[in-house]
Amino acid sequence: MVRVLVGTRKGLFVLVSGDERREWTIEGPHLEGWDVFHAVLDPRDGAIYAATNNFVYGATVHRSTDLGATWTRSDEIGLPESSGVKLEKTWHVEPGREGEDGRLWLGGAPGVLFRSDDSGATWEVVESLLHHETRDRWQPGAGGMCCHSVQLDPSAPERMYVGISAAGVFRSEDGGESWTPANQGTAAEFMPDPYPLVGQCVHKLLLHPQKPDRLWQQNHCGVYRSDDRGQSWERLDGNGLPSGFGFPLALDPRDPDTAYVVPEHGAENRVTVDGRLGIYRTRDGGESWELATNGLPEPAWASVMREGFSFDRLDPFGIYLGTQSGSIFASADGGESWSEAASQLPTILSVEAAVWP
Amino acid sequence: MAVILLPGMLATEAGGQRRFELDAATLDEALRSLPVANLIFDERGVLRRLVNVYVDGVDMRERDGLATTLAGNETVRLVGAIAGG
Repeated sequence: MVRVLVGTRKGLFVLVSGDERREWTIEGPHLEGWDVFHAVLDPRDGAIYAATNNFVYGATVHRSTDLGATWTRSDEIGLPESSGVKLEKTWHVEPGREGEDGRLWLGGAPGVLFRSDDSGATWEVVESLLHHETRDRWQPGAGGMCCHSVQLDPSAPERMYVGISAAGVFRSEDGGESWTPANQGTAAEFMPDPYPLVGQCVHKLLLHPQKPDRLWQQNHCGVYRSDDRGQSWERLDGNGLPSGFGFPLALDPRDPDTAYVVPEHGAENRVTVDGRLGIYRTRDGGESWELATNGLPEPAWASVMREGFSFDRLDPFGIYLGTQSGSIFASADGGESWSEAASQLPTILSVEAAVWP
Repeated sequence: MAVILLPGMLATEAGGQRRFELDAATLDEALRSLPVANLIFDERGVLRRLVNVYVDGVDMRERDGLATTLAGNETVRLVGAIAGG
C-alpha cells in the first residue's frame, strides 16, 4: 500500500492507495487540534511520527505504532535553561538509518536539533548546534528560525546535514558532534554581504539517496545543486525557471539528475507564478527546466509549504504535492501526468509518502 | 479529593480521561501530577501562558495562583485560552 501522510493545520490525514496509485481513500483526521508540521512513516518499523504544535499546549512529537489508530506523546522535549531559549516549534522528524534502532532526529525552532535513541519517548538537544559559534548571526525567517531539513548520508554513518532558516546549511562529519557551515556559493541577497558564511535562508535541503555527495537546495534566493557534500553550490534558477523563490523540493529516487520545484513570484508575493500551479522538472541536473501542466489546475494561485512535496520509491515512482488550499495532487509516473487525489482538506503543511503494508 | 476537569484536547492526550480525582496540598502539586503536565507546563516548569485554571469557578490568578491550597473538595477546571482560528 502507498500511504501519503498529510499534515495540516487541523490534524493529520492519510491518503491510502494500492500500488497503482489511481484511487485514494482518506483516513483521519488524526491528532485533532494539533498543527501537524510534518509526519513521517519510519521505514524501519512502520511507526508514524508527527511534529505537532498547538498555540496553547506548545510543541511536541506524537508517535503511533498502529498506523494512526492510537498515539502517544513524547515524555521529555525541551531546551536547557542555560541556553536562554525555549522550544518554540517542532518542524521535522527524520528516522535514523537502518540498523540504528530507536534513533530519530528532530528539527525545531529556534534553530535546534534533537536526537532520540528511544523511539521518540525522550529527546536530547544537540548541544553543538545549540551553541554553534555562528549562532549570533542566525536570524528567523517568516516561519521562525526553523530547523526544517535533516538529511543523513546513507554511505557514511557519521555524515549528516541540517538546513535552518535563516542560518543556512550545516554539515557534520561526526554524527552531530560538530557542524561546518556549507553555504559557499549560496546567496543571501537580503544581507549587506550577499555571500556570508552563514545566514542564508535555505527553504528545503535534500540529499540524493543514490548519489549522496549530491545535495539539492531550494533557497530563498535561488535553486542550487552541490556535488561535493555542500562544500560548493551551483545556482540553477537562471536556466529557465520563472523565479528562484520557492519552498518545496522533490527528487527522483533513482535519477540524481532529476529534481522538481514549485517557483513562487518572490518573497513579497508568495504564490505560484503566472496564475498556474507550475511544477518545474529538470532531468539534466538543473541545466534546463520544463513545466509540467498535465492535469494541474489553471488558473491557480497556490502556495506550497516547504514540506508539501514528497515522492515514493516505487517504479515508476509517485510524486505528491499539497497546497495550502487543501488539495493533494498526485502523479504515478514521475510527474508526466497529475490528478487531484484529495481536495478541501485543511491548510496543508506537509506531505510525506511511504510504501507500507 | 479535588476534582480536576480537563478540556477535550487534554483529555484525549490523557488517554480519554477527562476527570481526575487527586489528593494534593496545592494547585501546583495537583497539576504537576497529571499525565498531561508536560502540555500544561513548558520545559522550565512554567505554566503555559494560554492555559487558564479555575478553582471553583474563580480564576487562580484571583487566588494564590499555583500556590493556591486545596482542602480537597474543590473542582479545578482547565481551559485553553480562546484565541486563534
